[in-house]
Amino acid sequence: MMINDEAFIEVEYSQLIKGGEAVAGDDFKTEIIPGEQRYISVLSDGLGSGIKAALLSNMTTAMALKFVAHNTEVVKSSEIIMDSLPVCEVRKISYATFTIVDLINGTKARVIEMDNPEFIHLRHNEEVKHEKKIRFSQKWPSRKLLLSEFPVQLEDRIIFFSDGVTQAGLGMKPHKFGWMRDGCLKYIQELIADNPEISARSLARSVVRQACCMDQSGKPLDDITCAVIYFRHPRRLRLLTGPPFKEENDSVYVDWFRNFNGKKIVCGGTTAQIVSRELGIPIRTDLKNRTRGLPPPSQMEGIDLVTEGILTLTELAVTLEKETPLSQMQPVIQNFYNLLMDSDVIEFIVGTKINEAHQDPNLPVDLEMRRNIIKRIQTCLENQYRKKVTVHYI
Amino acid sequence: MTICVGTTCYLLGAADLQDLENFLPADLKENVEIIGSHCLGVCKDNQYGAAPFVKVDDEMMSNATVSSIIEKIYEHRKGSSHAG
Repeated sequence: MMINDEAFIEVEYSQLIKGGEAVAGDDFKTEIIPGEQRYISVLSDGLGSGIKAALLSNMTTAMALKFVAHNTEVVKSSEIIMDSLPVCEVRKISYATFTIVDLINGTKARVIEMDNPEFIHLRHNEEVKHEKKIRFSQKWPSRKLLLSEFPVQLEDRIIFFSDGVTQAGLGMKPHKFGWMRDGCLKYIQELIADNPEISARSLARSVVRQACCMDQSGKPLDDITCAVIYFRHPRRLRLLTGPPFKEENDSVYVDWFRNFNGKKIVCGGTTAQIVSRELGIPIRTDLKNRTRGLPPPSQMEGIDLVTEGILTLTELAVTLEKETPLSQMQPVIQNFYNLLMDSDVIEFIVGTKINEAHQDPNLPVDLEMRRNIIKRIQTCLENQYRKKVTVHYI
Repeated sequence: MTICVGTTCYLLGAADLQDLENFLPADLKENVEIIGSHCLGVCKDNQYGAAPFVKVDDEMMSNATVSSIIEKIYEHRKGSSHAG
């Protein structure tokens, strides 16, 4: 979510499922409430693992998001959640932990925790400790709620996780009691020291991968989930696709790339030719880079990715909509996806000229209109991937 | 020689032409450089015929197939050896 031109909140999480299970028993949900400049995130760990745990954690995150968004009183909300969860046949209790992070105006954080490892707030790579108010429910006296409120600023990070992270490696040398929160904190601080601008996405993934390595068996012994909120300068990406409706606008079109410091993508053969001509950069297309089903990408100095247009964009739209795992994507789509995910503000500059050759009835597939595909990608990036997206037609 | 792998050419046969190198006879393999192009810029112009388009030296070929390309390369070799 953009706070202003200079500040963006990047919220990402990463998760590994306990070995042998088909679904995660941890759940993470996040929601932006645009009218109020609020960004609410919830991580829950359901009792046990598999479907039963997934049910408990999903119910918890869904309810918590609604209660927080409607400003329902905290203890009351928690009681309703606890009352609603189905009782486990084996353990005769209903239980799921949660950590709720409610960001207001991008300047204030309110955190409500119940039984998850305590969250980490980092500023200048040092932990900032907060005084927490303790609340008990009369109905559920054994459940303790921790409440904290504090101001946040640019470059702060808030990191929270399930006990799959802190208990990773439990009972194994050298961490007999597991990685613990301190071990995890130290690891995160080392990562940030090495790479001070490490994204929320990379940091969450690194923590989860490292936790999995601690278990030594090679597969997670519990569901492992880590969420990271990073208040950062927005990383910008511009994508040019399609020739402008009027040829005389070619130069204005390519102006979007001149003096632009972010990532640059070109999608489309004619588009690449226009950019090449206007900026005087040659295009090289190596046929050895090809992947099945999609034309190969090209290279242009100073441009991060140059691809074919409609087929690649259509494949990208489907991949984003289905949330296809990275390992199952074709290499050119993987590059495309990584560039998008490593950006916060994405601008599509779309030339609207129709390519007559695409209307050839002999073509074996229907080629979608460029505008329609871009709209699909925009909707998806905004709703599923929490990106700030703008589209300019030319 | 250049193979167009733009959208239209790719869909109308250039996807298979990318493997051309594997089909070149031994005497051509070392002497022919194959590069790709995202657009040769002729698919919108009916006078050039139908995709896929391929350029051998400076000559544009339409409806290109592996065999028609090999034939064309031999033709060009012959032409250049005559000239030389």
